[in-house]
Amino acid sequence: MNLTLYVERDSIIHKIDPITKLIYCLVAASVPYIISEHMFTFFLMLISIALLFIGKVFRKMIPLYLLSMFIFITIVIIQGIFHPDNVTPLISFGPVTFFKEGLMLALLLILRIINMISAFGVLILTTQVDDLIQSLVKKGMSPRVGYMIGSVLQIIPHMSSMVSTISDAQRSRGLETEGKLSTRIKAFFPLIGPVIMNSLIATKERAIALELRGFNSRRKKTFLQDDKEFLFGKPCQLILILFFIGMIIWRILQ
Amino acid sequence: MNEIKIEKVSFSYDQKKPVLNNVSLTIQNPTTAIIGQNGAGKSTLVKLCKGLFKPASGDIWINGHNTKEYTAAQLAPHIGLVFQNPADQIFKHRVIDEVMFGPLNIGLSKEEAFENSMRALKKLGMDKHSERNPYDLNLSEQKLVTIASILAMDPPIIIFDEPTIGQDDYGKELIKHVIHELASTGKLVLTIIHDMDFVAENFERTVVMNKGEVILDGPTREVFARGDIILEAKLDTPQVIQIARAFGISDVVLTVDELIDRMRVHLGDSFPLK
Amino acid sequence: MKPIVVESLKYKYPGTDALALDDISFEVDEGEVIGIVGKNGSGKTSLSLALTGLIPHFFGGAYGGRVLVDGLEVRYSSVTEISERVGYVFDNPFTQMTAAKYTVYEEVAFGLENLGLNREEIIRRVEWSLKLLDLEGVKDHHPFNLSGGQMQRVAIAGIIAMRPKILVFDEPTSQLDPEGTEEVFQVIQNLANEGMTILIVSHKLEKIARFCNKIILLHQGKLVDFDRPQKVFSRDDLINYGIQPPIVTRVCRSLGIRDEKSGYYPVTVEEMRKLVKQNE
Ligand SMILES: Nc1ncnc2c1ncn2[C@@H]1O[C@H](COP(=O)(O)OP(=O)(O)O)[C@@H](O)[C@H]1O
Ligand SMILES: Nc1ncnc2c1ncn2[C@@H]1O[C@H](COP(=O)(O)OP(=O)(O)O)[C@@H](O)[C@H]1O
Ligand SMILES: [Mg+2]
Ligand SMILES: [Mg+2]
Repeated sequence: MNLTLYVERDSIIHKIDPITKLIYCLVAASVPYIISEHMFTFFLMLISIALLFIGKVFRKMIPLYLLSMFIFITIVIIQGIFHPDNVTPLISFGPVTFFKEGLMLALLLILRIINMISAFGVLILTTQVDDLIQSLVKKGMSPRVGYMIGSVLQIIPHMSSMVSTISDAQRSRGLETEGKLSTRIKAFFPLIGPVIMNSLIATKERAIALELRGFNSRRKKTFLQDDKEFLFGKPCQLILILFFIGMIIWRILQ
Repeated sequence: MNEIKIEKVSFSYDQKKPVLNNVSLTIQNPTTAIIGQNGAGKSTLVKLCKGLFKPASGDIWINGHNTKEYTAAQLAPHIGLVFQNPADQIFKHRVIDEVMFGPLNIGLSKEEAFENSMRALKKLGMDKHSERNPYDLNLSEQKLVTIASILAMDPPIIIFDEPTIGQDDYGKELIKHVIHELASTGKLVLTIIHDMDFVAENFERTVVMNKGEVILDGPTREVFARGDIILEAKLDTPQVIQIARAFGISDVVLTVDELIDRMRVHLGDSFPLK
Repeated sequence: MKPIVVESLKYKYPGTDALALDDISFEVDEGEVIGIVGKNGSGKTSLSLALTGLIPHFFGGAYGGRVLVDGLEVRYSSVTEISERVGYVFDNPFTQMTAAKYTVYEEVAFGLENLGLNREEIIRRVEWSLKLLDLEGVKDHHPFNLSGGQMQRVAIAGIIAMRPKILVFDEPTSQLDPEGTEEVFQVIQNLANEGMTILIVSHKLEKIARFCNKIILLHQGKLVDFDRPQKVFSRDDLINYGIQPPIVTRVCRSLGIRDEKSGYYPVTVEEMRKLVKQNE
C-alpha cells in the first residue's frame, strides 16, 4: 500500500525548499480572499496549475479535481438559484431560474477552490513530508508539533489500512462486505467503531513507546536527514512575502 | 474428506516482488504444520486459502470451492483462520460478542451462537472472561479468545497462524488439546508455527516454506530427517533431535518420551547414577 | 554501584485488590543477563514496567519499596530520564512503531534524533543495529509493510541503537523464527559482553537456560527463586509454578543424569554431554 502522497519526480519544483513552497501555498490560497477578482483568481489558478505541470504531477491531481465536481455542482445550484442578491435572470429550466449574480459568485468560489487545491497540490505532491517537518522544526517549531503533523499526515493511509484489517476480520467471519454497493455501504458502518477504538488503544501504547525513545527529552534534537540543497530559497520567499504585503496594501488603498 | 488444494499459485502485494511463487500443495491430513522463516510468505498463503486475497495466478480450492468464485464471507462456513496478530482480529467490546460474531453471521440462532461460544471459550479457559473487554486482556489471553471465536463457528477446516505466541506451558497445552480434538473429530487443521518441538510432537505432516516457495513437504519424521534443508530454510531441528544427535543417535525422534527410551538403550547401564 | 537494585518492591494496579508485585528484592551486576520466568499473570510484565518507571509513573496504583536503575531512584525520576539509561522492548511490535516515519531506517533513527546525537553518529548506530538484526534488506520498507517478525526486529533495533546501559525485554521474540530468535539472544550476549545489563522475559526456556547467568522465577507476584538456571530448573516443585523445565533438563531428570557435586541437572545439551562423558 502506498503510504504517502509524495510523488517522486525529477523536476525543478521538487528541488525548491519546502518552506518556500509552504509560503507559496499559503500566499496563493489566501490572496484571492484579499482581492476578490475573477480574472485575478483565474490567473493565480493558472500559475498553480502551471507549477503542477512543471513539477510533472498534474495527472495526480485529476482525481481530486473530479472529486470536487460534486462541491462545484452544489455551489452552482445553491448560489445560482438561491443567492439573496440574485436579480438578473440568465437561464431558466422550466420552473428553475439561474441568476447572473449568483452564478458569478459561484464562479469565483469555484476558482478559489481550484486555486487552493492546486496550490496545496504543489506543496504536498512535490515535497517529502519529513523534509517539510524537519525544515519547520529547524525554524523553531516544537518537535512535538512536528511529530503530530507527521503522524496526522499518515492517518489517512493508516486508517485505510486499519479499515482493511478490520474488514478482513469481519468478512473472514462471514460478514458480507463485497459485491453490491448497498452491501458495501452496510458493511462500512460496523467498521467505524472498531477503527476508532483500535486507533485509541494503539495511540495509548504508542505514547508509551515514544516516551521510551526519548521523545520528551529536553535535549536539542538532531536530524538524520542531510540538509538537502534546495534552490532559490531566500529570493523566492522574499518575492512571495513582498507580493503578499503588496496585495494587502493594494486592497487597503482601493 | 476435507481438502485444501493449492495449484500453481503466485501472489504479490505490490505487483513487483513476488511473495508466493508457483506454490502447489494438496492437504488432506488431519494435522499439518507449515514452518519457514519470517517473511517466507506463510501468512500470505493462508490468507489466500481463506479467500481474503485472490491468487494473481493459479487456483485454490477449499473442499471443492474455488476461492476465486466466492467472497470471503461465503467461504467463512467452510474455512476458519485465526490471525497471527490478535489485534487484527478483535473488534468488539465484549469477549462474548467477539466470539458470537462469526456464528451469528453464518446463520446460527442467538441461542445456538451463545451456546457454541461459551463452549469454545470454556475449552480455552476463557469463559470466566466472557463479559470483559477483550482489549483489556493481555496478548496471550487475546490469542485464546481469537481461537475460541473461530472454534465457535465450527468450520470443517481450521487454520492457526502462530497460535502459541505469548503462551506459557499451560496455554500451549490447551492449544495442543484443541488441535488434537479437532483432528479426532474429522476436521482439517493447518498450523503455522515456529516452535519446532511442538511441530515434532503434534503434527503428522510438515511443509517447509522458504522465500515464497515450498521446498520440502512430507511426514514430519521425514521432514526433520533432512537437516540440510531445514538449515537452508534458516530453521532449527527440534531440541529432541539435537539431543539425540549429540549422542550419535541418528534416527529421528519426535517426542521427549521417544528420546528418553532411545537414550536409555544408548547409555546402557551407566545411568541413573547411583 | 550495581546497575539494578530492587528493594522490597510492592505494587498494586489501580482498581485491583491483589498485589501484582509482592515484596520483591534482588540485585543485578553489570554485564549480567537475567531471565525472568513464570506462568502468565505471575508478574513478569509488571516487574519489567517497574524497571522502566512506567510503573508507577504511567500506570499509577499503590507503590512501596525502592527500584534503583544505574543509581537513579525510579520513583522520583521521569520516564524520559530513565529511558536514557533503560531501554525497553515489549511484545507488540505494531505499537512500538512511531507511525510518523516512512522507512525502517528512519524509524530506527528516531530515538537517536531525540538524544541529540550528531548525524555521523546516528548513521553509524543505525547501520550497526540494522546489521545486528539482519534488517539491511528491508531498510527502505515502510515499517507497517513488514511481516510480524520483521517488525519485532525493527522494534529491537530502535532501542539498542540508543545504547542504554540497561536493557529490558518483555517477550521480544514471540513472533520470530528460530534463527531470528537465536540471533536476538546472540545479540543480547554480545551486548552483555560489552557491559550492558540485560533482563529478558521469555517463554523460550531453552534459550533462557543457555544465555542467562541467573533466572528470576515469579509466581503470583512473589519472587520464588533468583539463582543459576541449573538450580532453578532442577527444582522439584517447578510444576507448581506452571513451568516445565527445558527438554534437556527433563530428559536428564528421567535418566538421572546430574552433576554429582551440586545435585543439579544440566540445562544445555553441551553440559549434558560433558556429564555423560565424565561418567563413561
Ligand atoms: N500488507 C503487506 N503489504 C506489503 N507487503 C507485505 C504485506 N504483508 C506482508 N508483506 C511482505 O510479504 C512477505 C511475506 O509476508 P508474510 O506472508 O507475512 O510472511 P510470514 O507469515 O511467512 O512471516 C514479507 O516480505 C512481507 O514484508
Ligand atoms: N493494567 C492492569 N490493570 C490491572 N491489573 C493488571 C494490569 N496489568 C496486569 N495486571 C494484573 O497483574 C498481574 C500480573 O500481570 P503481568 O505482570 O502482566 O503478568 P505476566 O507478564 O507474568 O503475564 C495479573 O494478575 C494481571 O491480571
Ligand atoms: Mg506470518
Ligand atoms: Mg506479560
